[in-house]
Amino acid sequence: MSVFYDRFERHDHAEGLKGQSTHYCPGCGHGLVHKYIADAIEELGVQDRTIAISPVGCSVFLYYYLDVGNSQAAHGRAPAVALGHKLANPESIVLSYQGDGDLASIGLAEIMSVAQLGVPITVVFINNAVYGMTGGQMAPTTLMGQKTTTSPYGRTRFTGAPMKVAELMAALDGPVYVERVALFDAKRRVKAAKAIKKGLRLQVESKGFSLIEVLAECPTHLKMTPLEAEKWVKEQMLPVFPLGVKKDAVPDESWPLPPPPSFVPESVTEVIGATGEGAERFCDGFPQTPYGKDIAIKLAGAGGDGAQTAALLLTRAAINEGFDSTHIPSYGPESRGGTSYADVRIAEDEVLSPAAPEPHVLVAFNAPSLAKFGPHVVEGGVVVYDSSVIAEVPPLPSGVRAIPVPLAQIAVDLGKVIVKNVVALGALQEATQLFPKETLLGAIRQALSQKCALIPMNEEAFGWGVKYAATAGEGDS
Amino acid sequence: MSVGKGSKSMPTTVERPKPFLLPQFCKGCGRCIESCAKHCIEPGTEVHPETGLIPVVFDLENCTACGLCMSACPEPYGLAPQPESTFELEDPATLFGPRPIPPEKPETIPDTRVPLGSARPLVVKGTYASAIGALLAGCRHFFGYPITPSTEGAELMAQLLPRLDGAFVQAVSEVATVNMMYGCGGAGLRAMTFTSSPGFSLMLEGISYMVGAEVPGVFVNVMRGGPGLGNIAPEQADIKLACRGLGHGNTHGIVLTPSTPQEMLDLTMLAFDLSFRYRNPVVVLCDGYLGQMTGKVTLPERMVAPGLPDWAVWGDRAHRRNLIVSIQLSEPDLEKHNEYLERKYAEMTANEQRADLFRCDDADVLVVACNTPARMAKGAVETLRGEGIKAGLFRPLTLWPFPVNQIEDLLPGAKRLVVVEASSGGQLEDELRLSLSKAGLAHPPIEHVRHSGGILPQAAEIVERVTASRAMRREKGVPA
Ligand code: SF4
Ligand code: SF4
Ligand code: SF4
Repeated sequence: MSVFYDRFERHDHAEGLKGQSTHYCPGCGHGLVHKYIADAIEELGVQDRTIAISPVGCSVFLYYYLDVGNSQAAHGRAPAVALGHKLANPESIVLSYQGDGDLASIGLAEIMSVAQLGVPITVVFINNAVYGMTGGQMAPTTLMGQKTTTSPYGRTRFTGAPMKVAELMAALDGPVYVERVALFDAKRRVKAAKAIKKGLRLQVESKGFSLIEVLAECPTHLKMTPLEAEKWVKEQMLPVFPLGVKKDAVPDESWPLPPPPSFVPESVTEVIGATGEGAERFCDGFPQTPYGKDIAIKLAGAGGDGAQTAALLLTRAAINEGFDSTHIPSYGPESRGGTSYADVRIAEDEVLSPAAPEPHVLVAFNAPSLAKFGPHVVEGGVVVYDSSVIAEVPPLPSGVRAIPVPLAQIAVDLGKVIVKNVVALGALQEATQLFPKETLLGAIRQALSQKCALIPMNEEAFGWGVKYAATAGEGDS
Repeated sequence: MSVGKGSKSMPTTVERPKPFLLPQFCKGCGRCIESCAKHCIEPGTEVHPETGLIPVVFDLENCTACGLCMSACPEPYGLAPQPESTFELEDPATLFGPRPIPPEKPETIPDTRVPLGSARPLVVKGTYASAIGALLAGCRHFFGYPITPSTEGAELMAQLLPRLDGAFVQAVSEVATVNMMYGCGGAGLRAMTFTSSPGFSLMLEGISYMVGAEVPGVFVNVMRGGPGLGNIAPEQADIKLACRGLGHGNTHGIVLTPSTPQEMLDLTMLAFDLSFRYRNPVVVLCDGYLGQMTGKVTLPERMVAPGLPDWAVWGDRAHRRNLIVSIQLSEPDLEKHNEYLERKYAEMTANEQRADLFRCDDADVLVVACNTPARMAKGAVETLRGEGIKAGLFRPLTLWPFPVNQIEDLLPGAKRLVVVEASSGGQLEDELRLSLSKAGLAHPPIEHVRHSGGILPQAAEIVERVTASRAMRREKGVPA
């Protein structure tokens, strides 16, 4: 008895007799199940570890009674709340107590998914074939033909057949133990108490998820005496909801309880990739370009052209040099196969606006990109475009230098078409003299630090970009 | 009076005790009657004056102390084994065997701030910066459901949390997500999620429960285009939800609005602090653009190793008497609770208003914007200044509470307010107007630059708006 509070202070401030009697109707099955739970917790010696999750339904006030840690969940969500508790403190013994509306209707997704996870949690599921708290409406477990306030002519095929939760749970891989029990006579009550204890014990032993479905009496909404209700459960519910163990697959080994989380600063900085030396700097002050102290660059191409990666490398390079820089990608449907463009801003102190609707520099990997963004390049700007796929250059604003570089062809010749964005970076570097070459090469090496074997090819690709842009530039001037 | 001693059925031959009942705790259900094979129990005939119910009556002559009637009684303090010794009826608690020792009062284990050591700046996108901020704030529990454009944050958590022995759970839905956070936060730990507009809508019910039950948790909403499925491009159309509709009931929560990857980290860290300080969920509102925006992020000097609050339902002895609950059945109790929450909201409103002011000192055109549009606005302000127009950017970092204290001083100098935002109906403007009106502040005319559907206001448009209406005013002879 010790797991019940001395006085139910939360029950209407324990006024009158409420301090020691439940809010349940006479003969209601809930009280019995509460007692079996309390006995099990006491016998297993886990009162100081247990957290009970109260549902929404008649048993919403479970927390009035059990002297354990208590949390009251939203309708149907008790398994989700239970999982949150179990993962917060894996040592805790978490009990999710739910009725049929709660578990088998509004909370189906939660119970199915948490059961399938298999984390050691014990669910006690009260099936009394009716909504109690809201006043006797049809439950998912209401029997065919049974009259309720929302099935006034009896449940029909149009309102579906009763939901067999224990069988459903047993069909999942997650649970280790599922049993359906009843309360209508002494023999079943002994079995019910045993099953509840087993479910909790399996959690104490950290074996896995268990669910015990209890066929319970709701005399009030069956409009019967408690004894008639017992009889009704036996005669009407039993044929639809056969009792017994539905699944007993208790593994030998225990569920691996996770270790406590780490708060070691060294591990945290390592995990987030903030360890190691800052990158080497090569710049002598902010780049001296005609574009001022806030440079806008746009890279545009098709989905697989690597515009985003190249843009990120530029951003990283600029930040390595101690400047502010941002990158924003276009994303969404057009980035999956269509145009993919990236805006990069590089500023001495602070990038004010990260977008580059009117870029100083445009890298175009295909004709549509050049056609779309070329006209918006600012006067005196530079366009680097892939001359291996773009035959004709649309009219560009006056004073914009267009630099043809066969990006794709060079990359193909190198044996890896995906390095064409690095060729483009080399060309961009040569055409703008944005940074010392080493700045960009450093950023490339940094990005490939996990795939060192690829560094030489990328360096070569960069070099070809520089070379082509240099000669194209000569031809231009 | 003492009972038991004089009872003719004191255990003699059997060791097991016979049943015993205090009639005021019998509901007269009769379940015990059926269970007794010896027919020792019968329906009563007298109404109990205290309960109005009719307790059963016993004749234990033939009782074998089988115990079956006791396990048939649904009442915790109903049928029970007879106590072995004498006891006082006036003290029914002693009737039912030894009582557990009540737990000692739990004490709050304070958070500690641990020096991070040497850490170099990161170059990361907004969602990553926020995830990293959460890790630095001591969050080791992530629950979420994938939704563009917030998913990268979740993906990074899935990658990093296992390496810090944290937990990453991909829930079955946003509804499950928020309730897992309710459990984890109720246990006193720092839980978070990344979501985007439709997902945020689904979480609102749970957020209301968290507010009611005073459960902390951090929600990063990377806003996208709506209504409905809308699109996955950036919008700011959940401001109304976060500031005015944080679930049903009398709810509020602090809403933070970062504009840069750096602020994604900083404000996510702050969100956890505020969430635990006030025992209330906190929303970090950003937009799809900011989530994707890569920039420089400098790490703070210290990270948080969280303690455990005294109110946590932790699942140990000390915290056993704690309860996380939002139901308050009695009307006066709920009103009292709501008044308490309102006092808490008032405290947040008084203490947590935050804004960033850019060239506002002498501004006569005050541009108001947050998130990515604030960056476009900043560019516009710079351009306007270049043209000799005294523009400034007022950038709320908290939308709820709206930083009305910070804007108040600027109003006398301002001739116009221009609200720049990515929502068609002007949700930021509504927050501004409501706050000014509540504070009883006179204000100059409010104009706006708005876009929606995933299109963001551009710097050039803002400049144009400001200069165009200036010219118009000049034409009309109104001082600009
Ligand atoms: S309505 Fe039914 S389930 Fe609810 S307390 Fe009464 S008998 Fe029990
Ligand atoms: S203990 Fe057994 S025999 Fe005695 S009253 Fe109860 S059910 Fe009957
Ligand atoms: S089972 Fe309990 S509440 Fe019901 S009649 Fe018997 S003693 Fe009374």
